Amino acid sequence: MKDADVSRQIQQMIRFIRQEAEEKANEISVAAEEEFNIEKLQLLEAEKRKIRQEYERKAKQIDVRRKIEYSTQLNAARIKVLQAQDDAMGSMKDAAKKGLLRVSNDKKVYKKLLKDMIVQGLLRLREPSVLLRCRESDRKLVESLIEEAKKEYSEKASMQSPKISLDDRVYLPPPPKNGAVDSHEPYCSGGVVLASEDGKIVLENTLDARLDVIFRQKLPEACKEAPVRLNNITAI
Amino acid sequence: MASNRGQGGIQQLLAAEQEAQRIVNAAKNEKLARLKQAKEEAEKEIAQYRAQLEAEFQKKVSDSTGDSGANVKRLEQETDEKIQHLKTEAARISDDVVAMLLKHVTSVKN
Repeated sequence: MKDADVSRQIQQMIRFIRQEAEEKANEISVAAEEEFNIEKLQLLEAEKRKIRQEYERKAKQIDVRRKIEYSTQLNAARIKVLQAQDDAMGSMKDAAKKGLLRVSNDKKVYKKLLKDMIVQGLLRLREPSVLLRCRESDRKLVESLIEEAKKEYSEKASMQSPKISLDDRVYLPPPPKNGAVDSHEPYCSGGVVLASEDGKIVLENTLDARLDVIFRQKLPEACKEAPVRLNNITAI
Repeated sequence: MASNRGQGGIQQLLAAEQEAQRIVNAAKNEKLARLKQAKEEAEKEIAQYRAQLEAEFQKKVSDSTGDSGANVKRLEQETDEKIQHLKTEAARISDDVVAMLLKHVTSVKN
């Protein structure tokens, strides 16, 4: 083999080696770029998804908290209005209670009223024997009315005249002192309490009890009668 | 001499192989660096994205705070108006209601 041929062959092999290396390097570069993009996109997508979820959760928390706050405030507002309504009704009831104090001061009116209340109680109980309790200050008046009440009851009920025992040991509470209808001291503005002889049936026909019942029954009607219906004002 | 010429050729081939290996290794290193750069660039963009979302979130928070404030104000105003109206009407009808209550308390139907 000639030297020139050998040298040429070696050079050819060297070129081949270099070409192979450069081709491989090129492949690596191309793969690098592809993997660069893939890697970057994957990282971006994964992290962005996490971040987005994180902020969506935070935003939801804000919304929920805001709704809770508003709902709480709305409830507080409604309660405030209801409280004002209750206060207004309470004021009317207090005024009515004060008005009751004047009822028993009118002797003539109170006398008839007391008799009518006794008769009403007898009609409700329809018992042959009745225990009657009243305020100590009303005792004389009640004693003077018992016979008349019994007679009226007999006529209205077409029944035999009942036996009425006036309790002279236990009395209803006295009128409120100084017109203090909001005190915690028990008081009675007037009227009577009747009970069956065995004490199992008790009918409380005092002015205060009547006011309580009428207050619950009649006030809604009063609201209807009034040009403005109070119950609707609370709507928010 | 012939063996000397052969040795020279072999040396050239070895050198070429080494150069080839260097070229390939350089490409591999560049690839590694590129992948690292991918991670770095991704992290950079992620930081920007997070900053953007944080800014939007903070804006939402301050907007909702303002909204809440306005809502509370309006709610308080409406409530006060309702209560005032309630008081006015209650005062207007109070005497009639009290009179009606007393009338029923003192009316006994037998």
